[in-house]
Amino acid sequence: MLEYQNLFSRVQIRHAPDQGLPIDETFGQRYGTGTFSYWLGKIGDAQLGPIYLGFWGITSIFFGFVAIEIIGLNFFVQVDWSPVEFVRQLPWLTLEPPPPEYGLSFPPMAQGGWYLMAGFFLTISILLWWVRTYTRARALGMGTHLAWAFGSAIFLYLTFFFQPLLVGSWSEMVPFGIFAHLDWTAAFSMRYGNLYYNPFHALSIAFLYGSALLFAMHAATILAVSRLGGEREIEQITDRGTAAERSQLFWRWTMGFNATMESIHRWAWWFAVLTTFTGGIGILLTGTVVDNWYLWAVKHGVAPQYEALNKLTPEQLEKLRGQYMGTLQGGYPTYTVPAPAPAPDAMAPSTSTAPAGGTP
Amino acid sequence: MHTLRLTALAGAVLLTSGCQFLGTHDRDVVQVGQRGTAMEINYVARDVETSMADLQRRMPAMLPPAPAGGPAPAWQNVQVLGDISVPEFNRTMVAMSQWVAGGPGNCAYCHNLANFASDTYPDGAAIYTKAVARRMIQMTRTINSQWSDHVANTGVTCYTCHLGKPLPNGLWFYTDENQVLRHYLDNTAARVASRTVEPSPANRSSVKQTEWVWSVMMNMSTGLGVNCTFCHNSRQFASWEQAPPQRVTAYAGLQMVRQLNTEYLAPLAPVYHPSRLGPMGDAPKAQCSTCHNGVYKPLYGLPMARHYPAFWGDKTDWDTPPRPQFTAAPAPMMDSVPVATSDSSGSGMPQ
Repeated sequence: MLEYQNLFSRVQIRHAPDQGLPIDETFGQRYGTGTFSYWLGKIGDAQLGPIYLGFWGITSIFFGFVAIEIIGLNFFVQVDWSPVEFVRQLPWLTLEPPPPEYGLSFPPMAQGGWYLMAGFFLTISILLWWVRTYTRARALGMGTHLAWAFGSAIFLYLTFFFQPLLVGSWSEMVPFGIFAHLDWTAAFSMRYGNLYYNPFHALSIAFLYGSALLFAMHAATILAVSRLGGEREIEQITDRGTAAERSQLFWRWTMGFNATMESIHRWAWWFAVLTTFTGGIGILLTGTVVDNWYLWAVKHGVAPQYEALNKLTPEQLEKLRGQYMGTLQGGYPTYTVPAPAPAPDAMAPSTSTAPAGGTP
Repeated sequence: MHTLRLTALAGAVLLTSGCQFLGTHDRDVVQVGQRGTAMEINYVARDVETSMADLQRRMPAMLPPAPAGGPAPAWQNVQVLGDISVPEFNRTMVAMSQWVAGGPGNCAYCHNLANFASDTYPDGAAIYTKAVARRMIQMTRTINSQWSDHVANTGVTCYTCHLGKPLPNGLWFYTDENQVLRHYLDNTAARVASRTVEPSPANRSSVKQTEWVWSVMMNMSTGLGVNCTFCHNSRQFASWEQAPPQRVTAYAGLQMVRQLNTEYLAPLAPVYHPSRLGPMGDAPKAQCSTCHNGVYKPLYGLPMARHYPAFWGDKTDWDTPPRPQFTAAPAPMMDSVPVATSDSSGSGMPQ
């Protein structure tokens, strides 16, 4: 009978929880003494805690809580404080950025003011958490690769603040809401002429899918040689054993080239970091340098041209073109209460003329 | 190894035979553009058949043609239908009672039975349904005679929208300042994608405004029961060149519904009974779904209007394809890129 044989052990050892290294407790201390969870042991280390929060952790959690609280209470008031409706409509609830007419000014609280506040606190929270990843890595004598990879994700997050700043309207920002932020991505793409033609968006997708592929390849390779000691990757880097030899030979056979026990982790790190980094560059260029990515792709010969489905003369096209939703700043469409309708001339024959082709 | 080969073979057979499930009776995908561009119309054939059968079951029978009759006599207080013969007039009245008033012979929905010519009830109150019906006949004539860009030789009758009921589907009223349905009345600006590569002051549409336009588009999509690529090429929603011809028809429809709402429907507010008005006192207005009822062609394109001369207006020829306002150009034009930085130059993209 087949048996799962490798050096990963199914045995869970119980002992006094490991307290880790002694640390400088000037700014914070570890909470709890640690405990064990059988089920956590199924997917990782069975020991839970102690946890270190410190100054950066506590402030980050505080600001994060404030942000979530603002978002949640805004959701709650939208369903008239009904817990049932809150749960039922949660995917559709949203805290929206200000309407376009406010530009970069601070709007009334109900018109996006709460949104800006939530965004501010969330950003502070994320930045503080970044400091925490940096200082904790340093405290353990580690490199700061995690912090910089996280920083790349934060860079993408921050471009959703800087891009609206550059084009001059907070209304461009991403709403807080489950479906709302998905709708935003579609609308952002349509506004800027199809983001799929943005080469940095394409790069970002390539790195994203590449990350998934690399993750699968690496994980599968290591699991496949774990019976030979392959999961001891660090030892295999410095003292290449048969696990490393076989896994590398496998890839040389199948695709001619192999990464090494060490370099595969650099591959993975760079793919992950470049996913968000290239994506952020793509966002920053959108609406600032390029306003219609499809036309950009046509201009540079990227988008293939097919036979037109509508064969129209320039005059006909001119008739068909509508007006822009947003024109000059301050010219955003504003609501006017409908004027009282004129008395109907119900008895008179229609005086309407030929249909107007264009818009008035 | 033998087992492995057998498994691979079986898998391949299963995979290829699975292709027979594509394009079945249940789900049809029709390619309408360049291959590989996802220009497809998706629909469920079974649903369409059910819907058509349902419509045929509910539709009143087409009335037999009216016998030839002399010119209309000197009617009393016939303000719109005075240009048709007496038999045609009576036939039209019967048809309208079936189409709108719930059944044949329900004359009292619009008439004072003691005096059919009167515009008031015996107690002197105005018959608002009669005044509205009169204006609606004018509207129907305008649609058939002047909007062949949209209705072509199919045309419309009362039944197209009313479907046998006094109130058509999809009537809408003012609600708030963000109401996207205002595009069917007086909000003409819907374009958000730029006609130039670089940003310019001409277009400062925001992502939020894009979402508003999207809402209108979804309203049209559900109103017509079609997906985006029925009218648009999704690689560039703004491009007219790459869009299917249906988009031009839909654009004419947008212009039409604006005219109908501003000239015919909205001005009727003082005529209606207050219970028919919206919360802001405005008259019920139409949108795409009012006539289309979830179908890409109302009544699945049944050419009803040609059988009812009372609704023709100036139109007499129901066989020659109408000359559309946006005729086909002799030579195809490809998208080209202008150097202009401002859209006002007019040399922009053919979109």
